[in-house]
Amino acid sequence: MSSAQIEIQLIASLVAIACAIPGTFLVLRKMAMISDAISHSILPGIVIGFFMTQDLNSPVLILLAALTGILTVVLVEYIQKTGLVKEDTAIGLVFPALFSIGVIMIAKNANDVHLDVDAVLLGELAFAPFDRLIISGVDIGPKSLWIIGSILVITVGLLFVFFKELKVSTFDAGLAASLGFSPAIIHYGLMTVSSVTTVGAFDAVGAILVVALMIAPAATAYLLTNELKRMLIYAICFGVFSAIAGYWVAHWLDASIAGSITTMLGFIFLIVYLFAPSRGIIAVLYREKQQRTEVSLLTFLLHLKNHTEERERHVNHLNEHINWQKVRSKTVLDLALKNNMIQLDKNIVSLTEKGDEFTSKAIDYIITNEDAQIEDMKDDFFLFRG
Amino acid sequence: MLGSFAVLRKQSLLGDAISHAALPGIAIAFLITGAKDSNVLLLGALVSGLIGTFWIRGIISKTHLKSDTALGLILSLFFGFGMLLLTFIQKQPNANQAGLDKYLFGQAATLIESDVWMMAIVTGICLFVLLLFWKEFKILLFDADYTKTLGFNTKFIDILITTFIVLAIVLGLQTVGVVLMSAMLLAPAAAARQWTNSLSVMVFLAAIFGAFSGVFGTAISATQNNLSTGPVIVIVASVFVLFSFVFSPSRGLLFKQIRFIKNRRDLQLHKTLAFMYNIVESHENISHPHAIKILNNFQGYTKGTLQKLVSKNYVTLEGSMWSLTEEGFKTASNLYSQQNDNNE
Repeated sequence: MSSAQIEIQLIASLVAIACAIPGTFLVLRKMAMISDAISHSILPGIVIGFFMTQDLNSPVLILLAALTGILTVVLVEYIQKTGLVKEDTAIGLVFPALFSIGVIMIAKNANDVHLDVDAVLLGELAFAPFDRLIISGVDIGPKSLWIIGSILVITVGLLFVFFKELKVSTFDAGLAASLGFSPAIIHYGLMTVSSVTTVGAFDAVGAILVVALMIAPAATAYLLTNELKRMLIYAICFGVFSAIAGYWVAHWLDASIAGSITTMLGFIFLIVYLFAPSRGIIAVLYREKQQRTEVSLLTFLLHLKNHTEERERHVNHLNEHINWQKVRSKTVLDLALKNNMIQLDKNIVSLTEKGDEFTSKAIDYIITNEDAQIEDMKDDFFLFRG
Repeated sequence: MLGSFAVLRKQSLLGDAISHAALPGIAIAFLITGAKDSNVLLLGALVSGLIGTFWIRGIISKTHLKSDTALGLILSLFFGFGMLLLTFIQKQPNANQAGLDKYLFGQAATLIESDVWMMAIVTGICLFVLLLFWKEFKILLFDADYTKTLGFNTKFIDILITTFIVLAIVLGLQTVGVVLMSAMLLAPAAAARQWTNSLSVMVFLAAIFGAFSGVFGTAISATQNNLSTGPVIVIVASVFVLFSFVFSPSRGLLFKQIRFIKNRRDLQLHKTLAFMYNIVESHENISHPHAIKILNNFQGYTKGTLQKLVSKNYVTLEGSMWSLTEEGFKTASNLYSQQNDNNE
């Protein structure tokens, strides 16, 4: 591994961490699309900054771009406040407009300079180590490493100082306001951090990857845990892992690093989405199937309870009457038998004592709909698993 | 046009997500066929756009992730994957690969005649289907549960409408590119929404706005060098939206502000009148004159409101004294009883 490779991976990991922290809060605050909007609309800010300084890495540029990012947020909120359109429409209107302005400015004025739309949108991590920061003749590492490093330090510092405030205002804005934190300040603070991170990272990894690194790790972590601290840690781990793995995939395929990091993120998300223990698709589908069977069982038992005539309780009649397919009614019948809810006597089904009690309880719950009884019922329902 | 449905269904950003999600489809279609046949590429874009859309649906309905997260996630992941494939293609020894990135930003100028015909045909089909299923779309849009109870196959209608939105987006990609497509979908519809409450009028207006911004945008970009068409069209569309926001008669900001001011003035007028009425009530003779000075302490009082009251013949002025007229007294007492009525 050459030093350039190590540096690339280091930059990618730092970007991943720096993005994961604000990203987690954005996902929790249901503002994930704002990051997409910001990453597009900082373009005019970057262009103006570039005209002023002629240097892609100057702090003025980052400042201006961050300002444009905040402007986007303010505009979106203003449009939304007028009540004319919904929030998502407002986002969808603001950022293409700003982005177009940026594209036109580039096209009109900057044709001959090295700033083109592709570079801004997609970034190129592979060149990051060549742009070195030299202070008084000493080479102290790539510029973007320093930029993203300082952004990360600031972000982490802010996170530790304002962790409690962020937490409260994210989950209960009303409580936060009544405790005396201004939700507006925290909101705009978070937006500023997101903008600055986006700007700092876009140069290294491009606008799209910034969005992916913000949202994907946080969303993946959210599928796995409900606790904020753990979610932050998971998100950071996912981010760093896919940054490094993505780099090697890109190395192997000889393709865009940004693209392959995103693909790794997508891959991780897909796996978690499918197999997460309680939130994954497979778990959800399994649970839904179980619940369907349980509902069927309940219907079946209720039917038995309501009919005392033998004719109504014949196995074959049940098939027709409740209108289930053969396989399905067999499953339900087996399940009920296994739990001693019913007894079979010459193909005539009748409730056992246990089944009778259970059914009365279920009816009680359905009629009164009281929460206290659910807990009890839940235990009963877990009996049927397996 | 189809954007109207997207806006009303609160799926505005879906357009953005789909247009990004179409990218890997284009790349994969190219990888498989190795040719740059625009129809095949569009088919690929359509398929991957649809996969993206339904994945987004799946995430929203099956997990506790919210729609914005799902959108952002799919958008960036698909796009990143598309970029990976594009860069991978660039390394392939295939002369045809150049120009694939045109789909990113779009070049209306590169459209050839067959593309235009293709678009016209698809637009025609869209129109036809829209007219055919007009009632179903409309009812699904505003009351999905009701539709279901009526026995319509909501899933089918839903898929149909989504497919057409995706189709429209994919077609538009060539013209304005991935990033700006969402604006093309949204802006005309958002502008049209301000002018009307009726769906049919809205769809019609959106189509007109869209067409106009297309024509104007192209015209402006043709007059200048180095001005790509897509962004200019988007800017023109945004101007339309801004204009609609400000000037639309019933919802626009301008008229809202005017209404607001007018209401406040009315309120002040009534307050002053009520205050006068209170004073006058304590005297037997309603036209008993009072000094204007005593009104000064009152908040709603200004010279303007007094003048207005005079011009409405509610009050007569004599030097620095005022008195209520018969009419003013009646109105004021009615004002009170009306307020009491409202309170009850």
